[in-house]
Amino acid sequence: MSMTILELIRKRRVLLDGGFGTELIQRGFPQGACPETWNVERPEVVKEIHKNYFAAGSDAVLTNSFGGSVIKLASHGQDKKCYELNKAAATIANEVKPRGGFVGGSIGPTGKFLKPQGEYTEPEFEEAYAEQARGLADGKADFLLIETQYDLREALCALRAARKVTAVPVFVTMTYNRVPRGFFTLMGNSAAQCLEELEKEGVPAVGANCTLDSSDMADLVKVMREKTGLPLIAQANAGKPSLSSGGEVSYSQGLENYLQHIPKIIENGANVVGGCCGTNPDYIRRMAVIVKKEG
Amino acid sequence: MKKEELFARIEKAIIEGRKSEAEDLAREAVKAKLDLTEVIEKGYVPGIQKVGDLWEKGDYFLPELITSAECMKAAMAVLQPELDKAKIQTRSRGKLVIGTVEGDIHDIGKNLVASMLSANGFDVVDLGADVKLEKFIEKAEETKADFICLSALLTTTMLGQKKAIELLKQKNLCGKFKVLVGGAPANQKWADEIGADGYAENAMLAVKMVKRLMGA
Repeated sequence: MSMTILELIRKRRVLLDGGFGTELIQRGFPQGACPETWNVERPEVVKEIHKNYFAAGSDAVLTNSFGGSVIKLASHGQDKKCYELNKAAATIANEVKPRGGFVGGSIGPTGKFLKPQGEYTEPEFEEAYAEQARGLADGKADFLLIETQYDLREALCALRAARKVTAVPVFVTMTYNRVPRGFFTLMGNSAAQCLEELEKEGVPAVGANCTLDSSDMADLVKVMREKTGLPLIAQANAGKPSLSSGGEVSYSQGLENYLQHIPKIIENGANVVGGCCGTNPDYIRRMAVIVKKEG
Repeated sequence: MKKEELFARIEKAIIEGRKSEAEDLAREAVKAKLDLTEVIEKGYVPGIQKVGDLWEKGDYFLPELITSAECMKAAMAVLQPELDKAKIQTRSRGKLVIGTVEGDIHDIGKNLVASMLSANGFDVVDLGADVKLEKFIEKAEETKADFICLSALLTTTMLGQKKAIELLKQKNLCGKFKVLVGGAPANQKWADEIGADGYAENAMLAVKMVKRLMGA
């Protein structure tokens, strides 16, 4: 019987993958299109990216389904294909999964708001997420990662929905801004509040991703570690993106500066690390060395 | 109630996001036959400005911002018909056409900028998300706007901001509208490079910049 992802997290530090969107674009993915459609239309491209991350040292890769909730897909007119695109996302990632590797079903935010700020009710969000989770589970994702959440209420909707349709572990990462008083989501949920609620719900691994660079992420991990004993996930951006007028994208931190803070992220208590926007297999290859060294 | 006391209560109602009170106080001001432009300038506007400051400091977050902007809207719905009736021209601070550029469906930041500009007395025409670049220009011409505001969250769609400015140049409309850009990957350097008239990092700075550019 092979190890589950939770058993692996208990045993040693776990490495996730890095950015996905830029990898797709480099392979000809057109501006403004719906990334999830490539799980069906160009699966060989999606598989190649996953394969590269596994080869770089990722223990687990996240599926190409970040925008795969019914609500998010609807903004591309793809809502009817929610189940199919998510199932394909997990299926194709599994096809390139090496022995001992894992496939995490990525579940990003809807991009909309619950009432009173927005138009949606909690049951509507739950329904939109349940369909996605069902697809990912049927595609045999080993775990689900509800990520980049800016509203704790929405994250809890996604969590309830996922649990209704699957028994695989469901992890949650929120995205925080740094303000003078500490780390808060867009909606004003503090890191402490999020951890407390998610722990109460029995989420087996929690954390943060996106928005922050690796230096700020190291500070956030310290704050989170003081609040919870749960396994912590941390996936930082490589700083802020900028675009030259010629169309070249670069991230403010760059590879070397990004890597400098990874030991601190680990030392401050992250059990699961990975990259986010601006990172690529090169980052993961170098992070794999650090993760091994730091133990 | 003294005028100053009313202004202070209005400001507080906006800061604390109490909609029915913001409306009631507007009705009270109408009933007391106060100078409504003064009520707006000395009660409501300082309130929403304070909300913006609290947000910039990290004390307020998106829900508070939206709630206070809604209060402003509700109060203005009470005051505007009275101003119209009395044929009082409120000083229009300027008109903006705003939207997220084509290929980009992200609209959280754009909506926030739009509602803060509108709460601060600007005339805002919101075109939504994934807006064709031609549409920005058409609408700006049609509504005689002062500004075209282009939002983009992605480094790929951000190029739309550049293309929009090129399109304006082609049509010889460059001086006619001021072009403002925003969105997570945008910055001042980018704005300078593509020849935009302004960039703001967040909704409050956008309000301040537009005021500055309008000479208000």
